[in-house]
Amino acid sequence: MIDGVLRTGENEWEVPVGYVPGMRVPGRFYLSESLGNTLEQGAVQQLANVATLPGIIKNSLAMPDIHWGYGFPIGGVAAFSREGGIVSPGGVGFDINCGVRLLTTPLAEKDVAGRRDLIDTLYRTVPTGVGAKSAHSLSPQAVDSMMIKGARWAVDAGYGVYRDLERCEESGFMKQADIRAVSAKAKQRGVPQGGTLGSGNHFLEVQVVREIYDPAAAAAFGISAGQVCVMIHCGSRGLGHQTCTDHLKILEGATKKYKITLPDRQLACAPITSPEGQAYFGAMAASANYAWANRQMIMHATRNVLAKMFSLEYDDMALVYDVAHNVAKMEEHTVEGKRETVCVHRKGATRAFGPGSIDLPGDLTSIGQPVIIPGSMGTSSYILKGTQTAMDKTFGSTCHGSGRVMSRTQAKKKMSGKEVAAKLLKEGIIVKAPSDNVIADESPEVYKPSDEVVQVVHDVGISRLVARLAPIGVIKG
Amino acid sequence: MSFEELPHTADVKIRARARTLNELFSEAFLALMQVMYGTDRKAKVKREILIDAADPESLLCDFLSEVLFISEVDSMVFSGATISIDGSHLSAVLEGESFDPARHAGGTEVKGISYSGLSITWDANGYILDILFDV
Repeated sequence: MIDGVLRTGENEWEVPVGYVPGMRVPGRFYLSESLGNTLEQGAVQQLANVATLPGIIKNSLAMPDIHWGYGFPIGGVAAFSREGGIVSPGGVGFDINCGVRLLTTPLAEKDVAGRRDLIDTLYRTVPTGVGAKSAHSLSPQAVDSMMIKGARWAVDAGYGVYRDLERCEESGFMKQADIRAVSAKAKQRGVPQGGTLGSGNHFLEVQVVREIYDPAAAAAFGISAGQVCVMIHCGSRGLGHQTCTDHLKILEGATKKYKITLPDRQLACAPITSPEGQAYFGAMAASANYAWANRQMIMHATRNVLAKMFSLEYDDMALVYDVAHNVAKMEEHTVEGKRETVCVHRKGATRAFGPGSIDLPGDLTSIGQPVIIPGSMGTSSYILKGTQTAMDKTFGSTCHGSGRVMSRTQAKKKMSGKEVAAKLLKEGIIVKAPSDNVIADESPEVYKPSDEVVQVVHDVGISRLVARLAPIGVIKG
Repeated sequence: MSFEELPHTADVKIRARARTLNELFSEAFLALMQVMYGTDRKAKVKREILIDAADPESLLCDFLSEVLFISEVDSMVFSGATISIDGSHLSAVLEGESFDPARHAGGTEVKGISYSGLSITWDANGYILDILFDV
């Protein structure tokens, strides 16, 4: 383990106050011994940097997919008091409400295995990769409505059914959205990109449920062994990227105005209650809503492809859940025995609310929130459920993925995209991407093993395993 | 004048070297375009950009963010830039062409220009830039 980090329990580590100057609370992260050698000093430094921010409560936290990012580490979670606490784009990232959703189908593996035509059709239908433009012609007014109403805008416009909204974190929209705080530039970028996947680690995967660990929870989530599902991973596109860029600049000025000392310019922030903090929060919420509408549109396109190709009823393809993993939220948590509304930042981390949470749909209240953890192209994705332990330890948060361990430069040196695609095809996984380059960048070996990451959160108890899904068809942006 | 990609697990880290600040910014700009659109980029049309910012780091971030914006909304792929920096003021003439999926779709979208790890230093050979692109 990295010097200066203390072991405080099984899979639990502390970064003590003093690791970097100005820390107000200790850092805490969750990681197994075997994943310990993947930890970068830069990520620990970033975890410690977050602990210097005003109003931070209890700990600067990181999940086992912790790695070196910008501002917060990836996998970072921190909650701030409404009075005296801050909000920071560095705790959310450029891709506001990057997130993931899981769609079920009544199909079995034998129905879709080896069906390259399915992957080709999905690839043609969902605009993917750099420079891809929306298949929908959205007006600026429609983009405004997306930002105000989120997934509800999409369902109102015919891209889904109202039950989908119950199956989204926040019902698919944050009510604090303030489109006046979103720049004309950001709105302009939003117009041609509704329903597009983007690039990098974003994907659309056809998967098969391979294992069920918790039959009661799986049944409540609508998942069964052998079932074909579709996982969609993307975010708020250029609109969100521009919002982050714009407000970083505004908050840089605010940092000076409110005399906040920062160890990293990317942590530019302002008091939550300040005009600058409120403007960022409103613009961030509007961008998050755009992302929910975007994923809803992509899911609608996917359902239409499946319905046509396999003669399915649209309503037979239910959404399990949609989670955000780059977002800041005002949430109620227990702090020193009292219920308090705090600003929780999750930067590459997933909400994992436990049983009894009023934010869950009625039929899931006794189970806990569905948590969706995407794997990489060749490795499994997992469904977990939120727990009371997460409420107690991590402000109701868990990991968001497997976390990269290899840079893109190393990945390209190690293997070509063609080799990776051929290897995956032998394993029964069809991969489609705009270029071989993208496939090499995102090959399974560049990520931590997803099974080890979810095992840590399961063992720590901040979410519990429900099911494992394996990919059979992958579209990479 | 040169740039190279350094190992970074999550994002794209670039190190550029140049004799002058103008050339250093140009290298960062070329690195950004190469990451996004590959190496087959032609100079057919020109665009001008003007930026004001308090310090060189902000000037660079704002300039590259503006390039990202124009490139996306106008579907432009740039191949070269003539940059002139005067204190807090930057003017740039960019050369490029329209986005062509056949030649430009193989890159990686850059979501933002990060201040984390951004440094502009100099030694006997000139300026050295480290910069992180979020992808």
